[in-house]
Amino acid sequence: MAGPGNSQELLAEIASRPGRDTVVSFVVKAAFITTSLLFLAALLFAPLITVFATALEKGFEIYFNSFKDSDTLAAIRLTLTVAAIVVPVNVVFGIAAAWSIAKFEFKGKSFLITMIDLPIAVSPVISGLIYVLLFGMQGWFGLWLQEHDISIIFAVPGIVLATMFVTFPYVARELIPLMQQLGNDEEEAAITLGAGGLMTFFHVTLPKIRWGLLYGVILSNARAMGEFGAVSVVSGHVRGVTTTMPLHIEILYQEYNFVGAFAVASLLTLLAVVTLIIKTLVEWRTGYKRK
Amino acid sequence: MSITLDQVTKRYQGSPVVNDVSLEVGEGEFFVLLGPSGSGKSTLLRAIAGLTGVDHGRVALHGNDVTHVSARHRGVGFVFQNYALFRHMTVGENIEFALRVRRMRTEDRRQRRKELLRLVALEGMDDRLPTQLSGGQQQRVAVARALAHKPEVLLLDEPFGALDAKIREELRRTIRQVQRELKITTVLVTHDQEEAFALADRIGVMNLGRLLESGRPDELYDRPATRFVATFLGAANLLLAKQTEQGIRFGATPVNARRIEKLEGGREHEVVAVLRPEEIELAPTRDNLRTNYIATGVVEELVFTGALERIRVRMTSGPSDAHIGSNSHVDGHNTAAILDVTRTQHEQRVFPVVFGQSVAIGVRRIHVLPTPLSSYTVCAAETAAAERLSQHPFLIELAGRMKTRIAKRIDPALATCQGNAQTRISGVAVIAAQVKVAKQVEWLLWNGAAEVMVLPSQAVSPQRVLIHWADDAARRSTLAVAASLLRHVPAEAVYVGILPESRGGEGQRPLGVRTLLDARSEAQAVHGLEMRTELRFGAAAEELQRQLNEQVDQMLILGISDLSQLSREFAPLFAAPAAYSMMIVYRPARESDEQAASA
Repeated sequence: MAGPGNSQELLAEIASRPGRDTVVSFVVKAAFITTSLLFLAALLFAPLITVFATALEKGFEIYFNSFKDSDTLAAIRLTLTVAAIVVPVNVVFGIAAAWSIAKFEFKGKSFLITMIDLPIAVSPVISGLIYVLLFGMQGWFGLWLQEHDISIIFAVPGIVLATMFVTFPYVARELIPLMQQLGNDEEEAAITLGAGGLMTFFHVTLPKIRWGLLYGVILSNARAMGEFGAVSVVSGHVRGVTTTMPLHIEILYQEYNFVGAFAVASLLTLLAVVTLIIKTLVEWRTGYKRK
Repeated sequence: MSITLDQVTKRYQGSPVVNDVSLEVGEGEFFVLLGPSGSGKSTLLRAIAGLTGVDHGRVALHGNDVTHVSARHRGVGFVFQNYALFRHMTVGENIEFALRVRRMRTEDRRQRRKELLRLVALEGMDDRLPTQLSGGQQQRVAVARALAHKPEVLLLDEPFGALDAKIREELRRTIRQVQRELKITTVLVTHDQEEAFALADRIGVMNLGRLLESGRPDELYDRPATRFVATFLGAANLLLAKQTEQGIRFGATPVNARRIEKLEGGREHEVVAVLRPEEIELAPTRDNLRTNYIATGVVEELVFTGALERIRVRMTSGPSDAHIGSNSHVDGHNTAAILDVTRTQHEQRVFPVVFGQSVAIGVRRIHVLPTPLSSYTVCAAETAAAERLSQHPFLIELAGRMKTRIAKRIDPALATCQGNAQTRISGVAVIAAQVKVAKQVEWLLWNGAAEVMVLPSQAVSPQRVLIHWADDAARRSTLAVAASLLRHVPAEAVYVGILPESRGGEGQRPLGVRTLLDARSEAQAVHGLEMRTELRFGAAAEELQRQLNEQVDQMLILGISDLSQLSREFAPLFAAPAAYSMMIVYRPARESDEQAASA
């Protein structure tokens, strides 16, 4: 949160300076705002409205009925399960990675930073394929896994792994600049006052980074629930077993069940909207705290 | 003793940031560590608190060795420059943190919190968040928080750094008051000398990782032992002078100042004199001076600052070439002899001066620094070589740090090393390392140089300085030179004692160890120099050479008391042009004896 927080402060400061209106005329200002709003309307709001419109096309009854389908319910359950596993793991990993990068100097630090960014840079399909290559039948561990009767690919563990891979930068990326900016002083103060490691972490460090952490969790959660590409490769599309919500939407759509597809889509969209609202609240809250 | 540091060293990427610091702070004492940024003072403070580990040495609190005790269990109070308050906790929660860690009962915590808030004059602020307080108030909370668990030692790291002048003064008073009331041993780190004077019972001045001097503020101001302390604590004009049996002489002008302190040692030699700006008197003519005349000058700058008037006077006669203050150029062309003078309102009324006016300059008090290294004189047979050597980076660095000048001396006799020099050589003679270096060193020492520095062209500031003397007669002067040099070089000092192998080897060990310990304690007691010691067996020259070649960036300080020792004992050191720099210290045995006797 350091980046946005800082630039917001900076913008506020610039805005308060005298002479800020002298360069930009009213016309330019209006043109800029209109352009960005039109762009938003065409590309973001229109599709969003279409989703809900199509879902509710044939009335509320059919809309709600589509959620009674057992496969749909299974898909929702699977998505929530995956998110429930992936997000906490990412929190632990993110804090550990951010802590080691922000507070220590060690060999291979820049390599670690690069590696954390890798999942963002790599196409999600490739992320999925990595796991197929590792754990699939023809993969490195395929034979061994088969002998021990463990299934990873085309099963829930594969989906969890792929999702984890795709989402793990978010928490760490949020926390690294924040921790670097906040420094070590409060922790050191706590130690000189006699606090141990755990007490320092839970009473000093965690409260200090809580808003940044929450922001990272929200982003990570949104990606975990919405991920399509990586999950699609490893899931095998077994209806009711290994389809998450995005995959299930696709299946329904392929079957020309538009209402069903858009109903699930609307649910996913709602989740996203809720996430965005929470995110905005957090941003507002951190901006306020940063004063 | 409340805090005892014994040879504390902290290295960062190989070079020492805290270099062999030994220090004792008494019970209830307010000690201020003063130094420029990067002098290692904050690192030292953190080492006392346990926030930074030490690479060498011991830290003891109240007689208990805590070198390997974690910061958590040392029980010190620490105040950070940027407050480091827990931003999500209220003032009250911040103060109670240390008590909550210790599981104190709620009522007792309340009680203690109230006491502390009263102590720092913040009653009723319990429920505020740190962000709702001003900087000064936040630092008060930080002080209260650091005192909550009744620590026996309070450490403050530039606590006023982020505050503006007015609040700074107010908080300074609060801290002094709190310290007096609790009688708590306190160490404060600052780069502000005014702050140090206002707070300290005792000041320790640090530079380049070394604790240069410590003492009462007035003592340090009146009688500094080093150039750095003289110029860092208040303003000072540094002038080169000749110490003679009659007194001090600036150029051709003898000064008979009543309050000149006597320096031991009979022979005439170059010294560094400190003239405080407020000790300088200006008068229309020499006869009007009520103090000792030193020169005439022209007023170059005049600034009115309220209580005082600051004047810069350019000396036109007298010791104009003796000035070695920081504003003189090292190349020697512009020895702009500018003296800083401050005068009170009263003095201004008695003798008002205007810009450009000619004045006679007198001095009330001169303090002579007890340093044997006064200035550098680059010696070479021809101009080009001297010019090249005077641009040597290490020499420029050294002279810059010592705030002294590099003079050039062209002496064709140096090529042949025959005959005598026209005038005696003063200051440290500097020559380039080359094949004939042994002869040159001998010639220079014969012609009055007391120290000769041999600089290889690629020499850099050393990381380790080896110290060795040929016999006991040279010990005292070698230690003095080593101490003076090492104050300006961020290097470790190692005394190498060498015993001949043939005479029983191991059987000699107790005697050898004894010599080492004597040397170390003398260095510490007389010169304030902390050094390591090493005992070796074998031929001195080979042993030294072997050590010097072990790693790069080393320097040798070699003391002799007889010129023949050079060729007799240390010839191998000069056989080939070396990669390390050397400083040869020579005091004739007779003179050393006299010095020892008078001491």
